[in-house]
Amino acid sequence: MSKLIPGRRNLLKAGAASLFLAGVPIAGLAKGKPPGSISVIILEGGMDGLATIPPVGDPDLMRMRKAISPEGYLPLNDFFGLHPSLKFYAQLMARGHASAVHATAFPYTKRSHFEGQNMIEGGGLSPFSEKTGWLGRALDLADVAGRSLSLDMPLILRGHHENDNFYPASIRGSSRPKADLVNMIAMGHKMEAAQIFTKVARKSEENVRVPRDPASLATYAGRAMAQADGPVASVIRVNNFDTHANQVEEGDADAGRLARQLVVVDDVIAGYRRGLGKAWDDAIILTLTEFGRTVAVNGTWGTDHGYGSVGLLAGGTLSASGVIADWPGLSKKDQFEKRDLMATIDYRSVCAACLEKALGIDHDLIASQVFLQPDLPRVFDHLFA
Amino acid sequence: MNKQFTIAQKIGLMFRYDEDIPQDMEGWIEHQLQAPSPALGIAKTGASVTEWPDELQPNLAKRAGMWRRYRALKKQQREGKNGQDTEAARQANRHENLMQEKDEHKFVQRNAYGADQVKLRLTSFWANHFTIGNTFDTGQLIGHAIDEGILAKLNGSFADMLYGITTHPGMLTYLDNVWSAGERSEKAKNCRRKPDCQAGLNDNLGRELLELHTVSVSAGYSEDDIRAAAQVLAGWGIDFGEELSTMRKRTGSNNHWNAYKKQWAEPGPKKVMGQTIYAGRSGLRQLTDFLASHDHTINHISIKLCQHFVSDSPTKAQIESIKSVWHQSNGDLHAIHTQVLKLAINAPDAKFLWPMTWLFQVVRLSGATYFKGWENTHNYNNKLMHTKKVFEELGQSFWSLRQPDGYSNDKAEWLSAEMFERRVRFAEAIYVNGGTRRSANKIMDRIGAAEQTRALVASVGPSPKDQFITLMCSPELMGLEYV
Repeated sequence: MSKLIPGRRNLLKAGAASLFLAGVPIAGLAKGKPPGSISVIILEGGMDGLATIPPVGDPDLMRMRKAISPEGYLPLNDFFGLHPSLKFYAQLMARGHASAVHATAFPYTKRSHFEGQNMIEGGGLSPFSEKTGWLGRALDLADVAGRSLSLDMPLILRGHHENDNFYPASIRGSSRPKADLVNMIAMGHKMEAAQIFTKVARKSEENVRVPRDPASLATYAGRAMAQADGPVASVIRVNNFDTHANQVEEGDADAGRLARQLVVVDDVIAGYRRGLGKAWDDAIILTLTEFGRTVAVNGTWGTDHGYGSVGLLAGGTLSASGVIADWPGLSKKDQFEKRDLMATIDYRSVCAACLEKALGIDHDLIASQVFLQPDLPRVFDHLFA
Repeated sequence: MNKQFTIAQKIGLMFRYDEDIPQDMEGWIEHQLQAPSPALGIAKTGASVTEWPDELQPNLAKRAGMWRRYRALKKQQREGKNGQDTEAARQANRHENLMQEKDEHKFVQRNAYGADQVKLRLTSFWANHFTIGNTFDTGQLIGHAIDEGILAKLNGSFADMLYGITTHPGMLTYLDNVWSAGERSEKAKNCRRKPDCQAGLNDNLGRELLELHTVSVSAGYSEDDIRAAAQVLAGWGIDFGEELSTMRKRTGSNNHWNAYKKQWAEPGPKKVMGQTIYAGRSGLRQLTDFLASHDHTINHISIKLCQHFVSDSPTKAQIESIKSVWHQSNGDLHAIHTQVLKLAINAPDAKFLWPMTWLFQVVRLSGATYFKGWENTHNYNNKLMHTKKVFEELGQSFWSLRQPDGYSNDKAEWLSAEMFERRVRFAEAIYVNGGTRRSANKIMDRIGAAEQTRALVASVGPSPKDQFITLMCSPELMGLEYV
């Protein structure tokens, strides 16, 4: 970058509020508004891909996990079914607006939540190798802003200082902070903390009220992203996928913890659809989870940490529905380390394709600068052809 | 800040607005570590500070009885029996039989009023290291684990604390161990003969015991080690909702904290990280003792202690000095804590404070009555929110559903606009609704505030409320750096 062009950080320090809005091009660096939007739903705990999109055509499925395979699944084709909780998602599939990628994972095989979550958000070559996140780095490349709808700033969005997080407060006895006061407080603080207080002041001026459940937050995010100068990316976190116990209810494989969590995912996708309106046509939504779960059922109506899982995709940018997979099989010899679903598609490639579509950046640039893996395979044509 | 408040900020919760300030700080620290630690609080707003009543601090057997009663009434509610399906009955059941809100209220009150501020900070550190998230069925147990598994064991050995918390019913429930059975256990064998019977290994606690509670991934253990640890753990704990007679039958014990189900245990020796662990109940103590004294455990936890109390970017020398005391004292927590606190008071840099620590300090410095009394835990109050809600809004609570790795000790994890907005809002809420007894100027005089802080507070004009908010959100009171 030329030294003559002021960085965004400097503009922010100068305190010119209008320059903080999303997607404001900087002279000489202008790329214009990206072609689409990208939203990530992080499913914390490790989602069981084999129950979400059961490979009903694989004879080993019922042999290995009869007790927890959903019975009321919706057949998608000869081989794959869809969990009965994903009702809205099923409608999207019928319209060609949703796809799934199966037997996929980030290249992380050690089954720790914390390392795994760090990998899928950081997008580096190994856990804890990056202090910034893949979406943050991509937004930085594309020079646009993002927003996270939770109380903490997730790793995935770090790396791009124009990011913002959002989870409206409800505290008796407190009112919307006075922007002037908070700006004064900011002046007493050093660099990073000063910037954060400045952001608090700016948000206070925006004065928006939204409800706080995941689906409503998704609707809010969709609406914001649908605006001409709105954010280009959003992240929503859904936890509780670590279904070691009671993944299904005893005697009812269509009920239980996973079924309930998948309803939340379905509601979040529906919320985005509602909020995005016409902007749905340019949107891509994808799920992320740190790993899949064991093929076999454990002793407690659940499954333990595994490897390969499924990624759910939705949005008007998809042109056809389907389950994209290079199916590895479920028999003992086909399993990863004789226990997990093998991953045959690198999910970083799926993320890269979504970034390419939404932000209009070259795959090679994403591979080398976002995922730090120049030879990352390009799967764009399988998803968006 | 003057010396006393600088130290109390870093390793304690600040001296309350009306508390005597000690002159000999080293003697004070030693006294803090040794003194008894009653749970102090108030019965209602305006009442004087006294000890929490015994009936609000039930033991495990009583908690289990309440939990069974809660579930029985809940069942009647679902079935529409005995008038249990009314909103009033539902609420009464929650208030009478669930401990989580009462326990959180007690924890918060003792942090606001306690005379044992250093112990309370150490308790929060370890309660976070041994996180038990609130999965609702653990709600009945988290407070007990913090009081009896952590605070009561602060002056023993790390090995004792590790064994105690690993076998605590809260941990065994949170990480699913109460449902785990060895693959070759009697239970699993019998189960295989019956249709729809599930019994097998659940490796959740085995994994976190290695990764989070002791050696950490740096030790390079394998998936087999995790499985072996889980096999050692199999049989420990029992579903808290089981009848006492069932527990006696399965464990031969009346004590939930010593519940070992032989039928669920894996027979034969196991090998964890090269160490042979013998079969039977004593195998777990053998395993936790082995892990407690492991070099990787000592390294892992020394770094965490340093980051929490000493510096946001601790030096190698600081970490090494804790490790060395740990080795020399064979993991004696009193010796380790003394060393950590010594480093903390000698480290010149600011130390960022967790949101909950900051909130307690604001309340103590200002003399606000921001939390309801224990007689009113569940009552609506126009000004004071439910205590549970306060910490939900703050974004930090030991009674929330959280991941087993707990809250980060890394400052970077807490720097966000939403989290900072909460500080501004809570400073205001405490000023407006808490009946603060000290103004910003009075507080600055007492703590010997820095010139920069005084200038910052003066810069926002004459409003006492604005001054109070500014002081509490100043770099000095948040443990951050000045421009």
